[in-house]
Amino acid sequence: MPDVGALTFAAPVRRAGAGAAVLLGPATVAVSVMLLVPLALLLRFSLNIYDARELMIEAVTGANYWRFVTDPFYRGVLRTTLGVAVASTALCLMLGLPLAYRLARMGGRWKSLCMVAVVLPLFVGSTVRMVGWMILFAHGGMVDTVMRRLTGQGLELMYTTFAVISGVVSITLPFAVLTMQSTIETIDRRLEEAALSLGAAPGQCFWRVVWPLALPGTATAGVLCFILAMNAYATPYLLGGPRFQMIAPLLYWEFSTNNNWPFASAMALMLMTVTLTLTALSGVLIPRRYRV
Amino acid sequence: MADFIPTRRAVLAGAATLPFVAGTARAADGITVATWGGDYANLLRANVDEPLMTPQGIAVTQDTGDEDPRVAKLFAQRRLPRGADDVVCLQAVRAYEVQDAGLLEQLDVEKVPNLAHTLPNLRSSFYGPHIWSPQVIIYNPDRVPDPPKTFTDLLDPKWKGKVGVADINYFYIMMAAALATTGDPNKVEDPAARDLALKLNANGLRLYPSTDSIGAGVRSGEIDVGLMWHARVLMWQNAGIPVRAQFPTEGSVLYFSGMVVPKNAANKAGAFRYINAMMEPSAQRSFADRMGYQPTVANAPLDGALGQRLALPNPAPNMMLPNYGIVGKLQGPTSEWWKKNVQRA
Repeated sequence: MPDVGALTFAAPVRRAGAGAAVLLGPATVAVSVMLLVPLALLLRFSLNIYDARELMIEAVTGANYWRFVTDPFYRGVLRTTLGVAVASTALCLMLGLPLAYRLARMGGRWKSLCMVAVVLPLFVGSTVRMVGWMILFAHGGMVDTVMRRLTGQGLELMYTTFAVISGVVSITLPFAVLTMQSTIETIDRRLEEAALSLGAAPGQCFWRVVWPLALPGTATAGVLCFILAMNAYATPYLLGGPRFQMIAPLLYWEFSTNNNWPFASAMALMLMTVTLTLTALSGVLIPRRYRV
Repeated sequence: MADFIPTRRAVLAGAATLPFVAGTARAADGITVATWGGDYANLLRANVDEPLMTPQGIAVTQDTGDEDPRVAKLFAQRRLPRGADDVVCLQAVRAYEVQDAGLLEQLDVEKVPNLAHTLPNLRSSFYGPHIWSPQVIIYNPDRVPDPPKTFTDLLDPKWKGKVGVADINYFYIMMAAALATTGDPNKVEDPAARDLALKLNANGLRLYPSTDSIGAGVRSGEIDVGLMWHARVLMWQNAGIPVRAQFPTEGSVLYFSGMVVPKNAANKAGAFRYINAMMEPSAQRSFADRMGYQPTVANAPLDGALGQRLALPNPAPNMMLPNYGIVGKLQGPTSEWWKKNVQRA
């Protein structure tokens, strides 16, 4: 009898496993082909040698990676990229958390309207939005004109670090808000009511109850913002101008202008490695008991 | 009826031949021209594609985009039996770079009869010259009563933060610096030329991402002087931007652009006809009229109002055509140097 019971139990499990394989299979194959194959190709190219006439000479050398890590110029560009990514991520979390909390605790028609307002910028392409920022920040633009009228001195923000970080934040903020809002919504409201009824101040309640429980979602939002900022292309190109260098525009320049595909491939893989490493390390910042 | 149902093998065989059939049709009827977009592409369409190519039964498809990806594509497709483009528009310096890699078809009067009319100093064995214009010092006459006369005048502290150049024209800026310091525009790697560029940068040089953004900079008062092609000055004047040209006393480096045919072009005969068509006097005059560029052929004289508008100063300024065989090899290293020392400074 126990054998029969085991058989009747195992069959649905096998069926469920087969069903999952059927459902996961196509996506897994598609991702493998579309992501892993180009990455493998990129890795192969990065080990080649650049030649002005031949474009690429097949080899197995780490010279391109060595060049990236030893040349102060590329290290400087990587520092700039990291600086922009960290600053814009921090800003996104600081600006997004209160907004996400308010949205999560909101109800009725206002909530729908506010959600639409948060999502609406995602309907417009990032390049189009950057053109809007350019009009705002340019010499003779809105900010410059208003400041000139108020103080007699113009304020040119175009081609500055401030402009780039503002642009990046404007792109990543909706992602941060939506991610954190969905996490906060899962936190039982009664926990806050309990904390308040036990005498906690509202701030105390937020930091001692809501914040730890929202931490996994906040970390996910931070990771999302960080990855998007590290790989920003249009924003630094349009708002930063030629003097503001981040890795993504620089590797495209190396690829298309210099035709140095091996070095561009090495830069791309270095950017990906740094981003993935820092993303993985960010998990350490979350106390173990709050990890999902 | 069963006889009319094709077998699976027949269908597969038929499908396999489709690309070759399509390729043959393209080779016979049409060509693809890789070009800049905007006004340049529109003028090609209005003055070459439609009036000169369509009557020959050759349909032209434009592949518009930036020059750098075009060059990258030429290199990337070098091993393919058939490349994507039949005609590729390039600045002369980039064309020599590509020719040096052995990717271009040779051109002569047999293939392109209008090459016989090419101005003597613009002749080449692989390049169909299209337009040229001297690089000049530009200034806003409303704000600059006494414009700079030489490149070195731009170092004057009174121009601090008021000089603008297009970053994409870095090679021409370096050629101008080389001309001003050594008398030879080919010596872009000369320490004196590099030192002059660094001093200009230290004087608050504004780098603009595109050529058009310089016109906007002059209009808004962000800059008062800069370096640009004479043709652009004429275009901006037509657009109501307060700008004039000053030919540098040391001479002007020439901006020179044209077309090439890749060795693996699918329709070489059509490509040669296209280059011949763009060198027709009617097409050359249209580009002069609309974009302010000088014709590259001797049989398209500019007269009347157009001739007056594009007239160069008298006595003629010293116009220097670089040795592209030399500077074509310096493009990569100079680009690297500019990025590290001028952009990043």
